[in-house]
Amino acid sequence: MSERDIRLEIDGYIETRRELDVLKKYGFDYTAQRGRAETLISGIHPKRLRLRVSEIRQETASTKSFRLVSADGRLPPFQAGQYVNLFVEIDGVRTSRPYSIASPPNQTGYYELAVRRVPDGFVSSYLLDEVRVGAELAGSGPAGNFYHHPVFHGRDLVFLAGGSGITPFMSMIRETTDRGLDRRIHLFYGSRIPEDVIYKDELEERAARHDHFRLHTVISEPPPGYTGRTGFLTADLLSDLAAPAGDKTFYLCGPEVMYRFCRAELDKMGVAPRRVRSEGYGPPADVTREPGWPEDVAAEARFTVRVRNGREFEARAGETLLSSLERAGITVPSSCRSGECSLCRIKMISGRVFQPRGARVRKSDRRFGWIHSCLAYPLEDLEILI
Amino acid sequence: MPDYDVVVVGAGNGGLTSALSLAAKGLDVLLLERHNVPGGCATSFVRGRFEFEVALHQLSGMGGPERPGPLRDLLNRLGVMDKVEFVEEDTLYRAVLPGLLDVTIPADRNGAAAALKDRFPGEAGAVDRFLELVWEFCNQWVATFVLRDPEASKARYPVYFTYALKTAAEVLDAHFKDPLLKLALAEYWGYMGLPPSRLPFADLAILIWVYIEFKPYHMKGGSQALSNALLDSFLEKGGRVRFNCAARKIRVAGNRVQGVVTEDGDEISADYVMSNASSLLTYVELVGPENAPPQELANLGTGTVGPSAFTVYLGLDREPKDLGLEVSTTFITDDADMDRHYALWRTLDPPGTTGVTCYDVADPEFSPPGACQVVVISLQYAEPWLTVPPARYAETKYRYAEYLLDRAERVYPGLRNHIEECEVATPLTHLRYLGHPGGAIYGFDQYAKDSNLFWERTSAIKGLYFAGAWVGSGGFQPTLESGVLAARAILRDMGR
Repeated sequence: MSERDIRLEIDGYIETRRELDVLKKYGFDYTAQRGRAETLISGIHPKRLRLRVSEIRQETASTKSFRLVSADGRLPPFQAGQYVNLFVEIDGVRTSRPYSIASPPNQTGYYELAVRRVPDGFVSSYLLDEVRVGAELAGSGPAGNFYHHPVFHGRDLVFLAGGSGITPFMSMIRETTDRGLDRRIHLFYGSRIPEDVIYKDELEERAARHDHFRLHTVISEPPPGYTGRTGFLTADLLSDLAAPAGDKTFYLCGPEVMYRFCRAELDKMGVAPRRVRSEGYGPPADVTREPGWPEDVAAEARFTVRVRNGREFEARAGETLLSSLERAGITVPSSCRSGECSLCRIKMISGRVFQPRGARVRKSDRRFGWIHSCLAYPLEDLEILI
Repeated sequence: MPDYDVVVVGAGNGGLTSALSLAAKGLDVLLLERHNVPGGCATSFVRGRFEFEVALHQLSGMGGPERPGPLRDLLNRLGVMDKVEFVEEDTLYRAVLPGLLDVTIPADRNGAAAALKDRFPGEAGAVDRFLELVWEFCNQWVATFVLRDPEASKARYPVYFTYALKTAAEVLDAHFKDPLLKLALAEYWGYMGLPPSRLPFADLAILIWVYIEFKPYHMKGGSQALSNALLDSFLEKGGRVRFNCAARKIRVAGNRVQGVVTEDGDEISADYVMSNASSLLTYVELVGPENAPPQELANLGTGTVGPSAFTVYLGLDREPKDLGLEVSTTFITDDADMDRHYALWRTLDPPGTTGVTCYDVADPEFSPPGACQVVVISLQYAEPWLTVPPARYAETKYRYAEYLLDRAERVYPGLRNHIEECEVATPLTHLRYLGHPGGAIYGFDQYAKDSNLFWERTSAIKGLYFAGAWVGSGGFQPTLESGVLAARAILRDMGR
């Protein structure tokens, strides 16, 4: 401002100034709100959960369910189908895995997770073999976008589950039947052998009690004399039992191969893509078989990754960059580990990575070299920024 | 030697432009961001095959390459213009009150006047007089405060000096009789967060003027593209950034900034801290009331926390024209009583004014082929959401989303049948990601008393500077500009 304050010539300026002087005297004391934003949000989206294992049940030969109660207060609400990310430290390596909550949101006392043994699974073996009742685990707040969205999913739902992919559906089925929600559900549950069917008794019991929940168990490798439904979740089967496809919403959760198969079957049935919801399924079992993987790079190839202003470490081409970082003792935030949530976003300064389809990277992130490390594989020596 | 020349807290619009401006001058700058992406509100998220624009509806102040506006100039100086592609829109908005009003206002003065006179022939003269007043006011404002005419005075610029502190309603009421015409001219009040009866005429006039003079714009890839471009240039200039790293404390001793403590407990020393966090958060949480100068706390107390937003993001499996969407921006109202609509922002009742933005009208590449993205929005204060128990939050959110979709479908029937992706954000969502009290998207309520005419620019803590909506106007152009201005103030203080 020059020496002459021209603001004083504005109509109403002096009066407004006086009002401000009054407000300064009698205005709001914001210091009383210290910590308030955090308090308000922590009821819905706490940053971290301290969980304690209250009960473990052997569900099948390869699967246990874990009931987790809060070790320090209440559990935040969630939408049936969402997951929590469990943080673990195994042999000095800090990592995490997302597990869908199988208990319904109306069960506010605990979250139930079902963990199935993955061959050579780093985290599943630890949870199944090492974790006992009373153990404490750290978790993220519930997250994920695989849930019934009342704005556009309608009331006719068809769930296609494979193996341990039953867990989010279990939550949705329990909620719908417990609360008597106005939804009609068909569950097509594919398993290899009858002994693999998780929650078999409870599903059958709920199906018997509730008309609006239909259970269709499908076994792909039936033992001799098996009298139930066999084969795969084909268009014929779905059309026979859940016709008409019309306004139904189809949900997929299971192993990688199931998605490819079922998506093609739904296409055959003429189901609009907008009517199909898929849960993230983690990194591919063997990334070198993904379309677009360069032939000249073997899964066992090793490259040097240099973190700008940080350390260097070796990473295997066939392993996600996120896992390699964790093995090297470098913790990167992560949640879905399926390329969707973008928490593990890092920047490539030099080098080349393979990003399978399904990595949901922002357009401008791609342009400026940002990647989702949970779904990126080194193809050369890299320099990255964390 | 301090660890850095400047620590910038927050990578929102103002944090990014200030960090880049300072790094470009060769300063050693550390940028801290609590989230994992730059941009603050200027960001996006991906669902399915859609990348949703979080915050930007219409970018003001750009202008074309041949007649650049202030924002294009600024981005040119920052050296990011070759990293972002901008898209010009030719329409301000379509204003609809079903059954009573449906007028589309082009982004040029004669076209706007013609559209309004065509619908309101009885008040044609008043339309011309009003627009003339808006232009005269803005020209005089530019002369006084942008070009800083040393001879500026009330005698020389009577329109500016007479109207600067009037409310928009005072001026609209003096010109027009038909409440629908006032509504049609005042629709942008939703971009500023106060109804005409409370909104300074200056804010409405400048917004109409700036959108017409420099056209509304959007950008390829959405506002995240600009945030990423600014960050990229900052890194090129040698700046350091830490994501997922919130500041926990701003260290102050003897009324002088000493540095920042991160949430991981890292102590970082610096003589200058640029806070792009809200001024409330900065003084109350980061500096702490014990170190905050009493006069600064008194200044904060004169402001009231502004509105947040309720937003429904829709990915649709049809092109805009198949859904009847021919303009980027539509405002749909239940009636012409904007004071009532404003009062509804403090409730969970259906909104009175609903905005519908379709990004693919101006940029057919915004969404995948055959699809488009529509955002349906109403501003809302956070208060009513604080009364919702956590266990009822999801159902309350979806119920409110239905209110907005009902209104959008009054003008664009059939939207609901083509939803492929849908995400809903409430004021609590903004509160969560911004860490601001009230989840406010424009900072404090912007009454005339809150305008920069009444700022005292001296920060009482030496070395502490601010950028962003909480120390100025809200919105993209003002916050992007605020960072550059604040950087200039630091450089001045350093004697550079």
